[in-house]
Amino acid sequence: MNQLICPFCGPRELHEFEFRKTQENVTSSELAKVYLRVDSLEHSCEYWQHALGCRAWLLIRRNPSTGAVLETTALPGPGAHQ
Amino acid sequence: MTERRGHYNPRYSAGALLKARLAGKRFWHPLWGGRRLQPAYDVAIVGAGGHGLATAFHLARDHGVKRIAVLEKRLVGYGNVGRNTTVVRSNYLLPENHYFYEDSLRRWETLSRDLNYNVMYSPRGVVDVALSDDDMGRLARRGNAMRLAGIDAELMDVAGLNRFCPELAPHRPRRFPIVGALVQRRGGTARHDAVAWGYARAATAHGVDIIENCEVTGVSTAGGQAVGVETTAGYVRADRIVFATAGHTGMIGTLLETPLPIETHLLQAMVSEPIKPLLNTVVVFIFPGHGETYIAQSDRGGLVMGGHLDGFPSYTREGRWDRLEDVVAGAIELFPHIGAVKILRQWAGINDMTMDGSPIMDRVRYNNVFVNAGWCYGGFKAIPASGAAFATFVATGTPPDLIKAYNLARFDAGHTLDESGNGPFPVRQ
Repeated sequence: MNQLICPFCGPRELHEFEFRKTQENVTSSELAKVYLRVDSLEHSCEYWQHALGCRAWLLIRRNPSTGAVLETTALPGPGAHQ
Repeated sequence: MTERRGHYNPRYSAGALLKARLAGKRFWHPLWGGRRLQPAYDVAIVGAGGHGLATAFHLARDHGVKRIAVLEKRLVGYGNVGRNTTVVRSNYLLPENHYFYEDSLRRWETLSRDLNYNVMYSPRGVVDVALSDDDMGRLARRGNAMRLAGIDAELMDVAGLNRFCPELAPHRPRRFPIVGALVQRRGGTARHDAVAWGYARAATAHGVDIIENCEVTGVSTAGGQAVGVETTAGYVRADRIVFATAGHTGMIGTLLETPLPIETHLLQAMVSEPIKPLLNTVVVFIFPGHGETYIAQSDRGGLVMGGHLDGFPSYTREGRWDRLEDVVAGAIELFPHIGAVKILRQWAGINDMTMDGSPIMDRVRYNNVFVNAGWCYGGFKAIPASGAAFATFVATGTPPDLIKAYNLARFDAGHTLDESGNGPFPVRQ
């Protein structure tokens, strides 16, 4: 995995992007949302930011065993270039 | 070391060497292996890495547990015990951590004797380089915390550092001038493969069955207790089950249907071609805006280097190229004259990063399922203490004081052991 495709800027080098955190996937309590994760070999849902590019926040679904990117969506809200 | 089963392991000594010379090749036996999987065990340990093998060894030697199996998906030492950068140290800030790691460092000092196997522990010192007054303040705080706990730590200015590590040439004008360092002289390196082999040999000599190429695929339960594990080599009954699966602990959480405070990240390392002696210590160097480089020279002459995590969840064992570049840039900033040296190998290990950067040694879901995990990128140095303490926990059912803090309840209570103070972001630990 050496590139990601930004929905606004197109394919860019990986170092332009910053991984921020994994999406919460345990919702049994507020503390669990912060600390607990269900791990999967095929599927990881993550918040990234195109930090050295357009600064948009992205929600990226990836396969952590192969590095393949399954889906990239821009997050709405302030800062998103829509 | 007594032999209870099999004909493995003549005790290594000068006398044994002499006998071997006369007896010929047949004197030596394989260090482990050749055992068949039995249908039932007192303790089944999943993962033949450092922590799993050390736990097996201490269960057999110190607690007299007779029937122990270590089930390994691939080969002994395939995982992180053979992928780390071999640094051992106890320079932690939080009391829960520095007492534990100091116990481990003391065990490193006698480990070769305890295992009757040379793990090549080399107390060559660990140098944390400071590049600013802020760094010096931060390192002084950590050093003071260590000294209050009776652990050796020395804060050095440039002149002191020049005496300890002249090869670093701290006086030399640089882009990021060095202003001092925190040094732990008893820290250093050990031979990582020898640790796996030494524990595997010692455990085998105490009657532990090490079964390689045997992947655990499920845990079977009855009446609210775990009763055995499904493996690719068949079903195994076990009174107690221990998971010491390092980077794949996240998957163990899935297997036990219990979410864990763990994210899975990559850390890569690399080694240069062998060169003549250049560096007689371990140097840790965090430089502004780029990242981190730690560097040591192996006894074979290769410069072993590592840095920050790759920075996103991954199971690929590949490693991103721009991180390799960061690490090499840091090494060249420290030692400009190694610019022409070639990288020989680069690899990555899968790390079970916890939400606070500290390990987890606790029961998970069932009363007889124990998980030894969350060592992040620092599990190697913890192996001797982890094995001894976790064996006590598994044998007696009560965690010894040394590892009481490493429970899972700390996340519910909000009492995390956040050594780096970065909050619940494993990637920043």
